[in-house]
Amino acid sequence: MEQPRGKTGWTEVTEPGPGRPGFGASDRRPRVAALRLLSTMTQAEIKLCSLLLQEHFGEIVEKIGVHLIRTGSQPLRVIAHDTGTSLDQVKKALCVLIQHNLVIYQVHKRGVVEYEAQCSRVLRMLRYPRYIYTAKTLYSDTGELIVEELLLNGKMTMSAVVKKVADRLTETMEDGKTMDYAEVSNTFVRLADTHFVQRCPFVPATENSDPGPPPPAPTLVINEKDMYLVPKLSLIGKGKRRRSSDEDATGEPKAKRPKHTADNKEPIPDDGIYWQANLDRFHQHFRDQGIVSAVANRMDQTSSEIVRTMLRMSEITTPSNAPFTQPLSSNEIFRSLPVGYNISKQVLDQYLTLLADDPLEFVGKSGDSGGGMYVINLHKALGSLATATLESVVQERFGSRCARIFRLVLQKKHLEQKQVEDFAMIPAKEAKDMLYKMLSENFISLQEIPKTPDHAPSRTFYLYTVNILSAARMLLHRCYKSIANLIERRQFETKENKRLLEKSQRVEAIIASMQATGAEEAQLQEIEEMITAPERQQLETLKRNVNKLDASEIQVDETIFLLESYIESTMKRQ
Amino acid sequence: MASRGGGRGRGRGQLTFNMEAVGIGKGDALPPPTLQPSPLFPPLEFRPVPLPSGEEGEYVLALKQELRGAMRQLPYFIRPAVPKRDVERYSDKYQMSGPLDNAIDWNPDWRRLPRELKIRVRKLQKERTTILLPKRPPKTTEDKEETIQKLETLEKKEEEVTSEEDEEKEEEEEKEEEEEEEYDEEEHEEVKGTSFHTQPPSLPLISSGDLNSVHQGCSLQRVGGPKEIVPSKDSAIPFICP
Repeated sequence: MEQPRGKTGWTEVTEPGPGRPGFGASDRRPRVAALRLLSTMTQAEIKLCSLLLQEHFGEIVEKIGVHLIRTGSQPLRVIAHDTGTSLDQVKKALCVLIQHNLVIYQVHKRGVVEYEAQCSRVLRMLRYPRYIYTAKTLYSDTGELIVEELLLNGKMTMSAVVKKVADRLTETMEDGKTMDYAEVSNTFVRLADTHFVQRCPFVPATENSDPGPPPPAPTLVINEKDMYLVPKLSLIGKGKRRRSSDEDATGEPKAKRPKHTADNKEPIPDDGIYWQANLDRFHQHFRDQGIVSAVANRMDQTSSEIVRTMLRMSEITTPSNAPFTQPLSSNEIFRSLPVGYNISKQVLDQYLTLLADDPLEFVGKSGDSGGGMYVINLHKALGSLATATLESVVQERFGSRCARIFRLVLQKKHLEQKQVEDFAMIPAKEAKDMLYKMLSENFISLQEIPKTPDHAPSRTFYLYTVNILSAARMLLHRCYKSIANLIERRQFETKENKRLLEKSQRVEAIIASMQATGAEEAQLQEIEEMITAPERQQLETLKRNVNKLDASEIQVDETIFLLESYIESTMKRQ
Repeated sequence: MASRGGGRGRGRGQLTFNMEAVGIGKGDALPPPTLQPSPLFPPLEFRPVPLPSGEEGEYVLALKQELRGAMRQLPYFIRPAVPKRDVERYSDKYQMSGPLDNAIDWNPDWRRLPRELKIRVRKLQKERTTILLPKRPPKTTEDKEETIQKLETLEKKEEEVTSEEDEEKEEEEEKEEEEEEEYDEEEHEEVKGTSFHTQPPSLPLISSGDLNSVHQGCSLQRVGGPKEIVPSKDSAIPFICP
């Protein structure tokens, strides 16, 4: 079982001593919380998780999920007791949450199974559209649908995915054409080879030599080399349309039914082998995209292509959380450049030297053999991206003069009040005002340097400084709050206009059915006029607002990704 | 004692640090004191940057909205069951809420889950073949096919509990299709009147839950024979005599 990311501290807990009688639901008391250091989830994150769960899975799942996030690992009966929901509802919710990899379980002593929620995984639900769109850009529609099915269903067997995707693709194709299973399988294999999908941990096949009763819960295992191993399946078939549009279905339903049930009884060849989307690989891809576009903005297209080539070469060889890639020689890079690029070796070397000398230090030179060994400094690159985000936020919130002061303090690390005014060339009063504004919002902090051991304030230096890590955390927290606000506002807008939305949906349904049965133009007109012009206006406004709010969510999520990557990379190095 | 009198001793009004060090000189006008919490929506000094538009942005946006809608229709979306009220209300028919029994609609792999979580899985009835009525020549089974055709776009769920209290609540999509169905029905009533045939001995089992949900709200389990036809709200289905 994978350890949840970001979990800090110990989880050692004092068990109730052997003298305690039994453990029914009434005996269970909250564990000695003092010894348990929960992964620190802020209120903003919990609120956001609650909104996401509610929107995607409904209220019951939300209640259970949020309770688990708040209180940590708990067994089934305690959850039911503490949340006041019936045992069956809790079971339903847990099944859904485990299926979607949002909750994991562990067997403790005396056969008690405890469930633990993964808050950071819940937050990933915001990013699903981005994952699906990425799959589309890399592997076209087939890849897009495969990833979409895997994300919507949590985990699936390969045969189930292939069948479903083939059916969906067939629906969109012209009449008479169908999508072959083989093509979908090929795309699936490619996704597995490039690590975008991975196998879920599975139940190990145990021989029946175990004399005791079966364990209350299986222990799932997976090892590294099996993770991307595609089972040898011979999936033969074509996608099917739904019968309603298929005119060949002459129907004796009785004749069809026995055949249909027979299909379901066939043994599935890859039973028990489940696949899930590998979010870390997608994150690696996003990170690479960010670095390449940063280089493109700072320098030019060719340099970004060189960096992209280097990143592509290190995709599989470098683990995703390494501070820098494996060294690549200039000769290797030259050979691996994309075919369309015909720059000479000297030009490539010049570009590499330029990149290595750049103060942002995206690329570093690590040796001279093979024409020069170059690495990409992933950690530094992420740091630069996070810093650029901070600068951009300061600029858009406070203005460009504030941004100038901010960049100045970033560059000089520590500055006194007087020095800030001098270097930034901004009058004292305004500089003061701006510094305090940024200070109050925690973009800038004060560092005290005492001259005397008694820390007397009149004899202490107060220096302004930017602590990038803590500023990034603060900004991340604000992002979580922003998205929660955006979601709430969108739900509010939708609820306000609920009646109007339902009316318009009914009208559309009526029009669709009338068109299907061939109604006249005049009748259609009449039905359309059931929605008055001001109502249409209101609907337009609603649609525009909801689109804007949705687009904002997507935008903020991109910022969250950058900041989270930077913070994670920094924490790993410490 | 010594500190009683609330700070009226020496050094009143002195700060612990030197004001000049943080840049507030003597005699500078300080900003007015804050007497209330900051406003809920403070006025923005600078307009926010426009959102990304263009093909990619719009595609991702459409994708997001589509995903949201799709997830609501999946069986993983668990609707809380509405508590039964004393009197059946008209709005109950149109409210979306979960079924009252404790079964789930999808089939997890129980070998991967702790044994204590195992719950009943509601059996799904297979989707029926649909026959487009106007194009088919009349057959002896026409009447049943009409009723089947009414249900063509509804998803069938066979209730295992046969109590009358068990109401199947339709989802909103199906509610729209109900509206469509009602219009379809009106048109087909005329067609039905013209073709009236004798009933063959065996009937495929149609869940009356679905039939009724189009018209009323209560469900009656249909057991075998053709006699138990539930009268429709709008007009009587022509009685099929054995």
